[in-house]
Amino acid sequence: MIVEFGHYALVLAFALSLVQSVVPLWGALAGDDRLMAVAPPVSVTMFVMVLVSFAVLTSAYLTADFSVLNVLENSHSAKPLLYKFTGVWGNHEGSMLLWVLILVFFGALVGLFGGNLPKDLRATTLAVQGWISAGFILFLLATSNPFARVINPPLEGADLNPILQDIGLAIHPPLLYVGYVGFSITFSFAVAALILGRTDAAWARWVRPWTLLAWCFLTLGIAMGSYWAYYELGWGGWWFWDPVENASLMPWLAGTALLHSAIVMERREALKIWTILLAIFTFSLSLLGTFLVRSGVLTSVHAFATDPTRGVFILVLLCLFIGGSLSLYAWRAPALRQGGLFAPISREGALVLNNLFLTSACAAVFVGTLYPLFLDAVTGEKISVGAPFFNLTFGPLMVPLLIAVPFGPVLSWKRGDLLAASQRLYAAFGLAILMTIFTFWLWGMEKVLAPLGVGLAVWVMAGAVSEILTRVKIFEIGPSRAFSRLIGLPGSAWGSMLAHFGIGLTVLGVVTASAFQDERIATMRPGDTVELSGYQLTFDGAAPRRGPNFTEEVGHFTIRQGGIFVTELDPSKRIYTARQMPTTEAAIFTTGFSQLYLSLGESRGDGAVDVRVYFKPLITLIWIGCVIMALGGAVSIADRRLRVGAPKPARKRNAGAAAPAE
Amino acid sequence: MVFWILIAVMTAAAALSVLVPLSKARRSAGTPSGSADEAVYRDQLGAIEAELERGLIEPEAAGAARTEIARRLLSAHENHAQEAGGITRGPRLKIAQGLALFVLPAAAVGIYLLFGAPDMPDAPLAARLQAPAEEQSVDILVARVERHLADNPEDGQGWVVIAPVYMSLGRPQDSARAYAQAIRLLGPRQDWLTDMGEAMTIASQGLVTAEARQAFEQAAAMDASAVKPRFFLALALGQEGRKAEAIAAWRNLLAGAEGTEAWVGAARNELAELAGPDGQSDQVGQTPAPRGPSQEDVAASRDMSTGDRQAMIRAMVSGLAERLADEGGSAAEWKQLMQAYIVLGERQSAENALKDAQAAYADKPEDLSSIKDAATQLGLTGS
Amino acid sequence: MTRKQRRLTLIGTAGVVLATAFGLIMFALYDELVFFQSPTDIARNTLPSGQRIRLGGLVEDGSVVRSDNAEVSFRVTDMENTVSVTYKGILPDLFREGQGVVTEGIVRPDGVFVADSVLAKHDENYIPKEVAEALKKQGHWQGDKTTAN
Repeated sequence: MIVEFGHYALVLAFALSLVQSVVPLWGALAGDDRLMAVAPPVSVTMFVMVLVSFAVLTSAYLTADFSVLNVLENSHSAKPLLYKFTGVWGNHEGSMLLWVLILVFFGALVGLFGGNLPKDLRATTLAVQGWISAGFILFLLATSNPFARVINPPLEGADLNPILQDIGLAIHPPLLYVGYVGFSITFSFAVAALILGRTDAAWARWVRPWTLLAWCFLTLGIAMGSYWAYYELGWGGWWFWDPVENASLMPWLAGTALLHSAIVMERREALKIWTILLAIFTFSLSLLGTFLVRSGVLTSVHAFATDPTRGVFILVLLCLFIGGSLSLYAWRAPALRQGGLFAPISREGALVLNNLFLTSACAAVFVGTLYPLFLDAVTGEKISVGAPFFNLTFGPLMVPLLIAVPFGPVLSWKRGDLLAASQRLYAAFGLAILMTIFTFWLWGMEKVLAPLGVGLAVWVMAGAVSEILTRVKIFEIGPSRAFSRLIGLPGSAWGSMLAHFGIGLTVLGVVTASAFQDERIATMRPGDTVELSGYQLTFDGAAPRRGPNFTEEVGHFTIRQGGIFVTELDPSKRIYTARQMPTTEAAIFTTGFSQLYLSLGESRGDGAVDVRVYFKPLITLIWIGCVIMALGGAVSIADRRLRVGAPKPARKRNAGAAAPAE
Repeated sequence: MVFWILIAVMTAAAALSVLVPLSKARRSAGTPSGSADEAVYRDQLGAIEAELERGLIEPEAAGAARTEIARRLLSAHENHAQEAGGITRGPRLKIAQGLALFVLPAAAVGIYLLFGAPDMPDAPLAARLQAPAEEQSVDILVARVERHLADNPEDGQGWVVIAPVYMSLGRPQDSARAYAQAIRLLGPRQDWLTDMGEAMTIASQGLVTAEARQAFEQAAAMDASAVKPRFFLALALGQEGRKAEAIAAWRNLLAGAEGTEAWVGAARNELAELAGPDGQSDQVGQTPAPRGPSQEDVAASRDMSTGDRQAMIRAMVSGLAERLADEGGSAAEWKQLMQAYIVLGERQSAENALKDAQAAYADKPEDLSSIKDAATQLGLTGS
Repeated sequence: MTRKQRRLTLIGTAGVVLATAFGLIMFALYDELVFFQSPTDIARNTLPSGQRIRLGGLVEDGSVVRSDNAEVSFRVTDMENTVSVTYKGILPDLFREGQGVVTEGIVRPDGVFVADSVLAKHDENYIPKEVAEALKKQGHWQGDKTTAN
């Protein structure tokens, strides 16, 4: 009965979303306050209903109720409790329910905390949110119902795919979904602005924090997914340019661009129309990310064909939302008022440049991800676009962007002085050159690009730090007074400094871990030793072990450095019994920011095993950088004030050139 | 009934969340757009003053920011001066209320009835396992005991209980394993050993394996009067081709029988087969085996010298092959032919037979796959 | 700078960046595409040696030979033709004889395929779609068998 109760709650949420789609919008267009007032309470009720149904599905997992098809197919009574819980979203239906839950949660947040918004804007935004909810709850009910039942269920389920039985992957989808779905708010705001034909100050004020929130979670979600792939798949790679990964990278790139254009809009009331377009793009790419991956279109056309209803439904939804919002944009955007003007060399100009590069990079990823699908559909020819394509397109587009990053924050609003800005970056530039030379000295000339990459990363990091230092005038007023200024700096300044520093760290990790990694593949017998980057790894032997729902063969290795014991590592090969599925569990030793990575291959029967060992210098910086980026985002959200970007009063010597008009 | 009441309550709550804001006389929620913009700008002006006091921005920058905001404030004021908010009565409200009162519940219940299964109770695993025994299917009882044994693998009695159940469920291998556990934990007993051997024998399609024979021998040693182990031992002798000993064993066994026991018929059949047509029993009830070397022929071939036997098999095989090539035959016969070639050591002929069989059954996927499976078991590749 | 000049500068910069991006994408598409081939494709047409391709098919039963230093050789077949593959490295968990596989690398002049990556997906029922379609073309696909579990 409880299960059916949850099912009904979901249906009721769908019915409410229909009301939400129509009534408030009608009120907003007709100027009827009472109809508009419906939106906030309904958004909360919808959230409660979906929450109830999610809780019911979770309880079905926890009590191993195999009369629910979804539980039967994805759970097992012997599964550890944690994975019974996370297994709720470890499958298509459950993850879609989580997606909808987050969607209505964001709607409820707007309903609850949107009191200072103009009422017609709030009502319209929530109505747009209602359309999205209606579309996806209907998708759930009609094609992916998590509450489908089984008569006379068997006594044991099929178990969760063992590769998903991992804490990293358990929290990866929720993070990613909060990111994807968070962009729905900016999307709804943008569509509402188009419908109402105006952009309010409050609109500008809301876009940045919501985008930031979504962006932080998306950043963490991508980083978590990358780290998971790194330690769980046993190949030692952290990014494969796999369609599934690209699907999350595209909204991230668009979202990063949106974040920066939202700053311009908030401070200078410029780039409004562009920001609206970016908001539409970002959420469209999020939809593409979630649903094309979930429906299997990207990984396998075959899977798409096996369940035509699901695929067609998704396609229709995507066309409706993306096509609809873009048509609305084409129709209404020209009617919106353009904002402030600015010189090409200015902070606005720098942010436009940032947007150009980010969207171009996003387009490159988009082409690389979807071109094979397109070609297959049109000509039937099978191609794959791999890492070389992305390295060749994405890389060159990122380099000028990274070079430009430190300039942005030191340029003034409206009209900037490139020379003065450069003067503030001398120290950072010097440090970057020094690090480049140092890297050349350390590694020799055989890898030319890598030291330059290191220099670029240091340039971005040092630029971020020196921006903060010059801002507090540490060189003019001395450290003690500068410190009090440092404390008083607005959160947004700290946020951008941290985020830029984080991207520098990530770049540093990427460059060093890919250029200077050391790798050995060997067949080892007990007692054998391999030498790698100054470490000696001795294979002591392998032994079987038994876990709650798997059996494994564990290899034991002793690691020494210059003959001195450092640590022991136990990589293993597991077989999950319910599905008879093997997995590789790599063993990782972290030293400083670098890691020693050890994974087992096939056993050779006579006690010998294939072993793959990597030494990856500074690799953890990749993920630490992402965490710092997300932290920067969080700090920036905490700065709730809407800040105005006023141009610097013109200096005396160029007073004739541009008079301070405002 | 409780279910429907709960559903009614939930639907009413949902409808109320629409109706209450609709019927509220005061409409205070939200701010008109013009004043919202102005409020934002006033906020900003306040923030600038606060920052200026704390010395975070230069007075001139503050001044510039202030003028910027003032400019925006002014334009916002102008833009929204002519805007008029308000409410209009009339059909709009009625329609919205109608939506909440009728369409919402009707849609929810209607869609639910389309997708849902309102009569279906929950079935959490723990509750299913704990339900009273008489209400449960054998599967659940077995699962319960299995769970118990997984937690307490040293409980010999549990293994004793489940072993015959497995047997009756057609899981002889599990049954043999359970008996083995019981014997390991509680010590050997004649009947357990016998039943274990029987389970093993059934698991291997009637062949008394060496392992099973050991069990029977041990059982027979424990209780010489027990018939069952001796029955299987006699069968084993026959299968091993020790004909004289087997006949002696069957005679011995039948001598002690009263003639009404269930096994007597089977024993007589075995004896008759071993002893040939001059045996003391009739030979009815033979199932028509695939035409080819019959059971008797194969049994008879055991008595010949190796060379003779090969020749006889070869003759029969070539007969079968000819007939299959001319008239075709069942999948079972094709399999028999392939097997026969393997026995004769003629791998190439077996491969050819497989190809012919595949060609003959190309349009019958079921038979084709069974032929392929058989070929794989024989180690044929089909190429 | 006049209003018009500002606008032109912006549009010019945007044009340059977008043109660069477009050029890069086209160049990379031309140069870095990897075509999927089945063993029959390889047998049929003569590829320029050194051309990177993806080879997909089934791992032939009994063909996997492991030697020391984690080197492994096996044959990939689509039931019509067969290609020998050598690979140094650790095979994915789901690499099994008789199962679908996709390898990436180049064909040596002697006809041996030197793979630098071997792919198998996360799902035990997964047959790479290219492999499935190539096999379907040859008439060896039995969809039911792979989904029945």
